[in-house]
Parts: sequence; structure tokens; C-alpha cells
Amino acid sequence: MNVRDLRGKGRFWAAFGCLAWLVFTLFPLYWVAITSFKSPVDVVGGPTYFPFLDFQPTLTAWKELFSGVRGEFFRNFWSSMIVAVSASVIATIIGTMAAYALVRFSFKVRLASGIAFFFVAMGGYLLGREIFGVGPAKASILAFCIALALSIFINRYRLPGPVLGNDDIVFWFVSQRLFPPIVVAFALFLLYTEFGKMGFRLTDTYLGLTLAYVSFSLPIIIWLMRDFIASLPVEVEEAALVDNVPSWRIFFGIILPMSKPGLIATFVITLAFIWNEFLFALFLTNSKWQTLPILVAGQNSQRGDEWWSISAAALVAIIPMVVIAGLLGRLMRSGLLMGAVK
Amino acid sequence: MRRNDPVKHFFLWPAVLAVLIIAIFPLIFSLANSFMSLRLIPPLPPRFVGLDNYIHILGTERFWQVVQTTSLIAFTSVALQYAIGFSIALALVKRVRGADFFRVAFLLPMLVAPVAVALVARQILNPTMGPLNQLTTFFGFPNLPFLTDASWALGSLIMVEIWQWTPFVVLLLLAGLQGLPDDIYEAAELENASPWKQFWTITFPMMLPISAAVIFIRIVESFKIIDTVFVMTGGGPGISTETLSLFAYQEGFKKFNLGYTSALSFLFLFVVLGMSLLYLSILKPYLEKYK
Repeated sequence: MNVRDLRGKGRFWAAFGCLAWLVFTLFPLYWVAITSFKSPVDVVGGPTYFPFLDFQPTLTAWKELFSGVRGEFFRNFWSSMIVAVSASVIATIIGTMAAYALVRFSFKVRLASGIAFFFVAMGGYLLGREIFGVGPAKASILAFCIALALSIFINRYRLPGPVLGNDDIVFWFVSQRLFPPIVVAFALFLLYTEFGKMGFRLTDTYLGLTLAYVSFSLPIIIWLMRDFIASLPVEVEEAALVDNVPSWRIFFGIILPMSKPGLIATFVITLAFIWNEFLFALFLTNSKWQTLPILVAGQNSQRGDEWWSISAAALVAIIPMVVIAGLLGRLMRSGLLMGAVK
Repeated sequence: MRRNDPVKHFFLWPAVLAVLIIAIFPLIFSLANSFMSLRLIPPLPPRFVGLDNYIHILGTERFWQVVQTTSLIAFTSVALQYAIGFSIALALVKRVRGADFFRVAFLLPMLVAPVAVALVARQILNPTMGPLNQLTTFFGFPNLPFLTDASWALGSLIMVEIWQWTPFVVLLLLAGLQGLPDDIYEAAELENASPWKQFWTITFPMMLPISAAVIFIRIVESFKIIDTVFVMTGGGPGISTETLSLFAYQEGFKKFNLGYTSALSFLFLFVVLGMSLLYLSILKPYLEKYK
């Protein structure tokens, strides 16, 4: 028997507490599930708890949902699906590549060139706009390109100030999570609108939303995958290097297959994050590529207290992630994810 | 082993570019905008106003109230999440009956879309038709104003936050608890230390670093809260539950006062950064003591 196991009374109270929390956790989910099968009368007439016992379940809400009476539900579902899946696939691949580079290669960035990027980009934008009278979109593209080229160029020279290594780059990526997304979402909305005025539409497009999601999931992917790749044995790669296998083939042929468990876990976490994301979708879409959370959020203000149909809509947003959680739980139990979830 | 090969740039740059273009550059763009007077309605020509926007916001009472509300929601809910999450993680690691089942079931709320959670919460909290009302009526308190009275609404929001994010705390603390070495507990058992003493002298100090990280992540994330509030109360009644994100959204999307909103979102950033630095500096001596 393990010394840390509970005994006697403590064991009973712990089980009791867990059960209480379980009820608290599951009740809202149970409630939304049964409400979606209630008829209007059963909802308005006060709370009812058990199907067949105190109310007669009907499929009205679901039929209405699928027949499209309740707005373009399918379109929102599919745009959510397409954006979430493709953005998480792209982000996982790009993020894993970056994580691999940060584990196995060494990088040196001078702090001075980073600061130069910041000042040239901002100063260039302000200058272009205020003094040369260039439009905001053009000014921002120009300022960005000049700043990037300049900072890459001056990074080659010995500049005063500290030199940042791999860990600092990882920190730079992860620190993006610290920023309140509203700061970027709002700025991105303004930038996208400016691009739209130049004839290159990004608001309410697949490209615009996916781009935003890809770059916003990268920090967490790089953070998770870095630990995972660092734990892979390096001998395999060394053997491949001796045989002169090019680095990109080592990555795609050896690293990716070896890190499959970590990849799956990271992919699922990213998928859930994007599927549930609200703020970016709120700012960057308005009709065609609107995602499910936005549609669900609008239900209440549109229909007041029609809880049966609101519940059905909410369930459509909830169920895919719950299924995925179940799959993830099974994967975890089979020990496949042992390395990834430390 | 770290090697040097030009191909490394091919691996790293896609990610760096994506973050630079979509996250860093808009930030710079918006910082530049925050120094300007920029309105869409009425469409005045933009002009450089320096720190005027910032000074104006710092002088408005609403901003300070919103900062207070957001901090209250974040700190209260994270404190409770941590207390509850730690207890659950302890119970699970001590292999309470049915721990395997609990472990999966307890994770569910984390994966549910916050807007859906908020809608379900609205149903349950409904003052006349909701099940919670029936429960409180049974105890003699009918029709409590869960979402229409300022303090009740704050409490409801904190409750929903706890429901949704305690699983995250459980997940990480559980991983930490499983990594603690057994031999210390065996030694403590030989010396007849009570479970209560074992917790405060062994478990809690050893869990301090991971606890600090979990609390930090949760507070930073809680400060960003918008979707739950947006659906549950819309910031109301009045502005009593308005959070920083929601305030910035209202200013930007309802009034289209772009320079002002950019300045506002940067002040938000400073609030979060200032708070993180404060947190880290308070915590540092403790973390070093137990290292």
C-alpha cells in the first residue's frame, strides 16, 4: 500500500467531495442536453429534470436547427470546421518546425537589431503617414519591409548590447500569450480594413481568419513541442547525419514520425482553442466566415428565452470538443501521451 | 547537441514571420495609432496628439472601475480555482475511489466554448424558470437577481469562471503531484507526522513553483475575459460587470474612436504587464527559498 494513500475517514470525505464536484461539473452539461429536447411549454412552465418522467422529449428544436429555420447554421458550422482544422494543421506543422530548429540549432539575435525593428517600423509608419502622405496600408507595408530588412542586415554586425540565444527566442514566442488579444484583434481589424480599401480583402475571408489563428496558436505549440522534441533521443539524428541525410529529410522522415504522440496532443489542444475562440472571430468576420461561437453568442439576443433552440445550438458547439476530449482521454490512458503531458 | 546549418532558417522563419506580421506588427501599428486622434465617426482627418489619449483615459472614472472589476473577477476566481483545484488534485493523486473516471470527467468544462457555457449559465440562473431558482426557493429565497443585481452578477461570473477553469488547475497540479518523490513521505510516516503536517511541510512547499506558474497563467488569462461577460451580462447592469476587454470592444466597435481605443488597449497591456512584474517580484524570494 502506498504511503500517500488516504485511509479511514479522510478517504470517505475525499470521495464525497469529488462526487459533489462531479455533480457541479456535469449538471450544466446535463441541463443543456435535456433542454434541447424539451418543448416550449416544458421550458416556460418551470424547471423539469427527467425526460419521460416530468416532461415528454421532442425533437422540435433539432428539426428546426437542421432544416435551417434558425439561420444559416450549416454554413457557420462548416466555416468553423474548415478554419479550425486547417489553422491547427498549419500551425502545428510550422510550430513544430520552429520548435525543432530551436532545440537542435543555435540562433543568435542581437537585442539592438530587435529594437531597431521596433523603432524603424513604428517611425516609418508615422513618417509615411504624417509627412509623405502615403495611405496607412501602404505606409505600414513599406515600414514593415524596410524594418525587417534593416534588422536582418544589422544583425550581422557586432553591435553593442546583449546577444539573445535560443531560450530568449522561445521566451519571445511564449510572451505573446501575455498580451491581451483585444489589443491585437482591434489593430488587426484596422489593418485588414486598410488592406480592404486597397482591394485586397482580408476581413471576413478564410485567409484573414486562418492567418490570425495560426499565429496566435504558435506560442503554445512551440512551448509544448520544444519540451517534447528535446526529450527525443539525439542518436538517431546523429546516425542519419553521418550518412549525409539532409536536415529537411531528417525532420520530415525521422522527427515527425517519432513525435507523433506529442503532435496529436498539441494538435488537439490547438483545435479546441481555435474552435472555441470568440474575440478574433468577432472582430474579423461578419457574415460568410462567421464561426460557431459568434452565432451561438447571438442566439440569446435574437430570440430571448427560446431556450430549447438555444440549447440545441450550444450543443452543436460543445459536442465536437467533448468527443475529442474522450479520444484524448483514451489516448492518455493507453500511455501514448506519457511523454507529452508531463 | 546543437549544430549549425543554414537550413535552420528554413525551419524557424515561417513561425517568426507569422508572429511578426500578425501579432507584433499590428501591435506597433496600434501603438502608433494611440498617439493620434483618429475617428471614423465623424470622419475627421487624423492628427498627432501625443499622450492626450492616455491622459484622457486615465482621467475617466469608468476606466478605473473597469480595472477594478476585472481584477476582482480575476483574483477571486483564480484564488478559488486554486483552492478547489488543489483539493481535487490531492484527492485524485491519493487514488480516491473512481479516480480514473473523475480524471476524465473533470476535464470536460475546459473544452466547452465559453460562449456556450455562458448561455447555459443564463438558463440555469434564470430568476423564474431556472433550476437554481427552484433550489433557492426551496430554502426560502425566491427569485434572486442572479444577473440583474451588480454584486450577484459578479458572483455569477466568478462562479462560471470557476466551473470552467478549475479543471486546468487540476490538470497541471495533478501532473506536479505525481512527480513528487515517495521516499520523503515514507520518512515522514516513520516519524509519525500527521497528514496535515505532511501537507504543510512537504507537499505545499514542494508544489510552490508549479503553483506559482499555474496561478500566473490563470490570472493572465482571466484578465482577458470577454466572451462569458459578453453573453451573460453584456457588462450590465450598468457597467458593473464590464471588463477591460469588453470596455475596449465597446469603445472601438460602437464609437469607432480608433486612436482612443488603441490607447485604451495599450493601457490594458500595461496593467497586465505591471501586475505580472509585481507578482513575480513578490514571489521570487519564496521560490528561491524552496529551490
